Amino acid sequence: MGFTTGKIKKIIFVVVTVIVFSIILFPPIFLFLTSIKTELDALSFPPKWIFIPTVKNYVQIFKTSSFLRYIVNSLIVASTNTFVSLALGSLAAYGLARYKFRGSENLSFWILSIRMMPPVAAIIPIYIIMKKLRILDTPWCLVMIYLTFNLPFIVWMMKGFFEDVPREIEESALIDGCSEFDVFLKIALPLVAPGLAATAILVFIFSWNEFLFALILTGTRATTLPVGIILYMKETGINWGYMTAGGILALIPVVIFTMLVQKHLVKGLTLGALK
Amino acid sequence: MGRRKSFQSFKRKYAWVFFIAPAVVVLLGIVIFPLIFSLTLSLHEWNIIRAGGWTWSGLENYATILFLDPYFRTALKVTFLYLLGTVPLQFALGLMVALILYRITRKIIGFLRTSLVFPSIMTPIVVGIIWRLMYNPDMGMLNYFLKLLHLPPLNWTGSPLTALPSVMMADIWEWTPFMALILLAGLQALPQEPFEAALVDGASQAQVLRYITLPLLSPVMIVAILIRLMDSFKTFDLIFVLTEGGPGMSTEILNYYTYKYGFKFFHMGYASALSWLLVVIVTVIAMILIKTIRSRGIYAAGG
Repeated sequence: MGFTTGKIKKIIFVVVTVIVFSIILFPPIFLFLTSIKTELDALSFPPKWIFIPTVKNYVQIFKTSSFLRYIVNSLIVASTNTFVSLALGSLAAYGLARYKFRGSENLSFWILSIRMMPPVAAIIPIYIIMKKLRILDTPWCLVMIYLTFNLPFIVWMMKGFFEDVPREIEESALIDGCSEFDVFLKIALPLVAPGLAATAILVFIFSWNEFLFALILTGTRATTLPVGIILYMKETGINWGYMTAGGILALIPVVIFTMLVQKHLVKGLTLGALK
Repeated sequence: MGRRKSFQSFKRKYAWVFFIAPAVVVLLGIVIFPLIFSLTLSLHEWNIIRAGGWTWSGLENYATILFLDPYFRTALKVTFLYLLGTVPLQFALGLMVALILYRITRKIIGFLRTSLVFPSIMTPIVVGIIWRLMYNPDMGMLNYFLKLLHLPPLNWTGSPLTALPSVMMADIWEWTPFMALILLAGLQALPQEPFEAALVDGASQAQVLRYITLPLLSPVMIVAILIRLMDSFKTFDLIFVLTEGGPGMSTEILNYYTYKYGFKFFHMGYASALSWLLVVIVTVIAMILIKTIRSRGIYAAGG
């Protein structure tokens, strides 16, 4: 008797798991399927499950729209921002992890709290200031403004990684006469390299995904990918082929990168609240 | 020599300034200065597209928002409905999924964990596109499912009655896996001794869950809920793609209302005041979250 109830339990368990993961995985799969359908197949109801796949949308989106430029813009913004915020952020993280001074802990938490601010609060003054400075619609205004959320993120993540490294090696190097900066650059930084790489990847993804700032601060020239995709949604109707193909292309780097940083994701997504 | 030495120790003592200063200066410049700017602006009346400069209006914007603006009240109501309809459900479903996955020891767990990650790390705009596609009244998947169940089709995001629940459903899809992932990581980091002891004492599964698992997991639960609560106030991308706040104001949460005042109506002073109310709300939650993190180290299994 116990054997059968155990078995029933196990079956329920498997069924629930399958249902849950079908719900999670189905919508993106449907996005992909729509992206490889012809317009006629995509618009048919009930949805077609058997159809001749086509890459037409993927070819057309590059040929007839500025999609390539959106990608280039996104790459410029995301990689430059990642580089700048890593440089500033890991320095600060090292300072906070290694030197205990009055208020150092408060300073760390102040930096963390900046990461939590609603972007809509920053966007109004930033827009006005950048308009005055005439740097709207350039990649550089996005590079700068993405520091508001990426810099605190890096400080907080890297601080944790530096704290995990025993400080004896650095101390002996200091006694040998290395300067503080050399110790940071040549000893501490290489020791946290895996953490640095994971943080860099997450920061890249955050910039790549960002929409609100890009929507408001760019016009026609510096349009990034998320804003570019939205442009296929017009009053006159939605170009589903472009929207879905563009969406899939936007997801590719995210998916690849996510696979690489699995280990640090829980820490990253909770801003280091969970170690 | 002695002088050199004291210089050395001075240098050592204040080396942190050199490390920290660049980041702090940048943050002051791009976050604190703009926030002060917007606080000042919120005390003025200024329409950016009309000619004329700032007109001092004191606390008038705030007074109007709090006591006179009926749309603000609607936005506030929508915000709370949105929070109530998403965060608790995400938590309950996430906990359920985490408890199920916790028991899976086979190799497939790696794949399942990876799938959990995607909705929350995907480009939010693309999540919006996915759901716009699913909700499409003419060709969408959901109306197809309704048809299979012999139910009448719905105009999901297009009707005032179903628009908000539709956006919520997409939000739940996007963030429940995040909850599950965090709670699973928390479960995996729990100490084993209490469970072993309970097993020896012959506790039932339900008792173990009620008296051991959930209490031990509570710090992680609090952090997960607070993070979601805080981020829900900032929901923008999903609403932008799915409904643009409509129809009417049915999906216009406070965040979106603020955006609209600033960048559709160009009332920068009023929008700044609205955004400061949002800052106050989010700061309160952030403070509670930071206090929770500070008071105890909260551990979760990362790998």
